[in-house]
Amino acid sequence: MHIENHPILGKQLQEPVTFYFNDQPYKAYTQQSVAAALMANGVKKFGLSRKLVQSRGLFCSRGRCCSCYMTVNGEDHVRTCMTKVEEGMSVYPNLEDPEVRREKHGD
Amino acid sequence: METDVLIIGGGPAGLAAAIETATRGLDVTIVDESSSLGGQLCQQTQLIRPLPSVYQPMRGFELAKVLTEQINDFTVGTLLNHRVIGLYADGSVGLSDEEKVFPVKAKKIVVATGAAEQAVAFPKWTLPGIITIGAAQTLVNRDFVMPGKEAVIVGSSDFALDVASQLLEVGVEVKGIVEKNPAAAAREKEKTDALIGRGIPFYFNSFIKEARGNGQVEEIDIEVNGEILTVSADVVCIDGGRSPILDSFYQLGCSFGYQKELGGWIPQYNRQFKTDRENVFLAGNAAGISQQGALLLTGMIAGISICEDLQTIRSGEAEEIRDALWEELKLSEYKDVWEGRTKHIEKFSSPVLKDQFIS
Ligand SMILES: Cc1cc2nc3c(=O)[nH]c(=O)nc-3n(C[C@H](O)[C@H](O)[C@H](O)COP(=O)(O)OP(=O)(O)OC[C@H]3O[C@@H](n4cnc5c(N)ncnc54)[C@H](O)[C@@H]3O)c2cc1C
Ligand code: FES
Repeated sequence: MHIENHPILGKQLQEPVTFYFNDQPYKAYTQQSVAAALMANGVKKFGLSRKLVQSRGLFCSRGRCCSCYMTVNGEDHVRTCMTKVEEGMSVYPNLEDPEVRREKHGD
Repeated sequence: METDVLIIGGGPAGLAAAIETATRGLDVTIVDESSSLGGQLCQQTQLIRPLPSVYQPMRGFELAKVLTEQINDFTVGTLLNHRVIGLYADGSVGLSDEEKVFPVKAKKIVVATGAAEQAVAFPKWTLPGIITIGAAQTLVNRDFVMPGKEAVIVGSSDFALDVASQLLEVGVEVKGIVEKNPAAAAREKEKTDALIGRGIPFYFNSFIKEARGNGQVEEIDIEVNGEILTVSADVVCIDGGRSPILDSFYQLGCSFGYQKELGGWIPQYNRQFKTDRENVFLAGNAAGISQQGALLLTGMIAGISICEDLQTIRSGEAEEIRDALWEELKLSEYKDVWEGRTKHIEKFSSPVLKDQFIS
């Protein structure tokens, strides 16, 4: 849920954007992080841990724990707590290791 | 890029150092990996006290604004969304904007990278919905998002209790505060009393036995006096304390010392807030966990010392200002923290660790 009217900071959510999670549209606001925007829409599970395959989501919201990695606009392992949501952004859960050994990167 | 002073971290401490150096004619650059200046003050809505005598008491986000406005009139470059990731062989600092990396050559560096929150582990503590207390505050006051409907808070520091009140204000039900000790950890007793007055249960001598949920936290078991209490909760906020962020100090090759009262391992430094690496200063929580007012003072001391080194202020005058700031620091931090800091400074000449990685 978005906090439309904050008891101390007032009405701050002014510029709505639409972004996509698993191709479904969701509503958010420009000053929110991708992680926060997902949580406002009831999405807390952002991916799976690779070894024990456990659910992962936001933890520190400060860019330090890496629990919030997701694929954003085609880029793997983006820290969604440090990335601002943008109009038309497409977000997918983080389900596996990033593809770093592609041909263009050599091996 | 070249600059007189490179400040790593634009939180209250970094900004305080920037104000002292920029107003005395130095060319200052602040780098911060987040998208705004102010550091962790930006999401703090509680009143901050005590502050150095030059500031009126105000809320955290207001203080962030006041500090930021003070550097606007001077030559301060700000590189937001840029992270310090390492050091070049010639001593230049390596910054990344997540796409490219480039060097900044600085005469003096201030490391003011702040502190990171620590976790409290219990079975299934990694379930989504289990977040740090600071993350809960960030969601509510910076992102304007409800972290959940029913919250349980683990830990009872002043910080945790402030955030508990902030959660209540936006309509989150706080189902309980779990504290392993027999009394609340908060130093300001009014905070505990206010929450008890609002009917928030405190569970003392208690801990989380287990969290459960399908893909996200749904309920937790609290062990209270040997009995299990099951509470439904869709958000659990962990207050595990904070520890200084040391990455940049490792990269710069600083020596460390252990000082429990200051949050554990921290770089060695002297009365000038200067480390044992030539030209590397530090400030804020990165120099030991304290309260915001004290953190500002540490930034001011580092700033003055840099001005002295770069001769934009006379040595005698610098010494006088520094003494006054140290006096004020003594008055504005808790006694145990102050004693830890004094001990730490005394140890400066005999560092216990060098070139080692501490985890
Ligand atoms: C989420 C959170 C909430 C908090 N809320 C409270 C509270 O309510 N009450 C309280 O008393 N204390 C709180 N704190 C403690 C907080 O650390 C202090 O209040 C104060 O902000 C510390 O000031 P500082 O200048 O030392 O560090 P910070 O304010 O943390 O500033 C450090 C800055 O350095 C930047 N940085 C770090 N590493 C790098 C790098 N490698 N490259 C570039 N930039 C970098 C960070 O982005 C940050 O902006 C909170 C801490 C956190 C993490
Ligand atoms: S939640 Fe910790 S890095 Fe994003």
